[in-house]
Amino acid sequence: MKQPPELTVDLPRAWDRPVVTVPVLACLSLVGGQLPSFSTRANLWILGTGGALIWLGLGNRVPRRPAPRRLGRGALWWVLPVAVFGVFEGATFVLSVGDEFPTFSRLADPLLTDELVRSAAWFGWLAAFWGLVRR
Amino acid sequence: MMRILAIAGFVTALLLFAAVEWAARRPDSRVPSLGDVCAYVMRYEVGPVPVGRIGVFGFWWWLGWHFLAR
Repeated sequence: MKQPPELTVDLPRAWDRPVVTVPVLACLSLVGGQLPSFSTRANLWILGTGGALIWLGLGNRVPRRPAPRRLGRGALWWVLPVAVFGVFEGATFVLSVGDEFPTFSRLADPLLTDELVRSAAWFGWLAAFWGLVRR
Repeated sequence: MMRILAIAGFVTALLLFAAVEWAARRPDSRVPSLGDVCAYVMRYEVGPVPVGRIGVFGFWWWLGWHFLAR
């Protein structure tokens, strides 16, 4: 017998829990952290992991948290950090004088050569991506 | 000197991101979290096309590619 939709509840799937997802993301991050920049393997790895998450996020394969119907005026506070970042990124990019006035990615590059930092960055990127897929 | 200015500017921006997120997570806050803002943007659709989701996913994928593969 078919249940009315208001009586049905989406049960959480067995794999959709932090105890499963965190180790999976950590393993993917450790692999990604070993792959050097500009390598074919790094490009393929980011294509594969990102492509899989986009595939999951665009379908209805993963339960999503409800999104707010509208944002209040408090959302304007987010303009402040975005504007500060945008001004500095724009200025450093347009002036383009290298290490004398570096862009954010030029500052991050030396840090990301370390495999541990690179793996941590991979984990942050994948975890945030997974969070977006769930929204 | 200019290098220090750039570093200070980016650190300030990151601290502001953290501060606004912290304010958003306080009880009864009127500020939405960054996740809520993203979720709201991702609701945007043009007909059957989830333009908001495609845009946010595309931006986040590009960011990872830019920093971790390039």
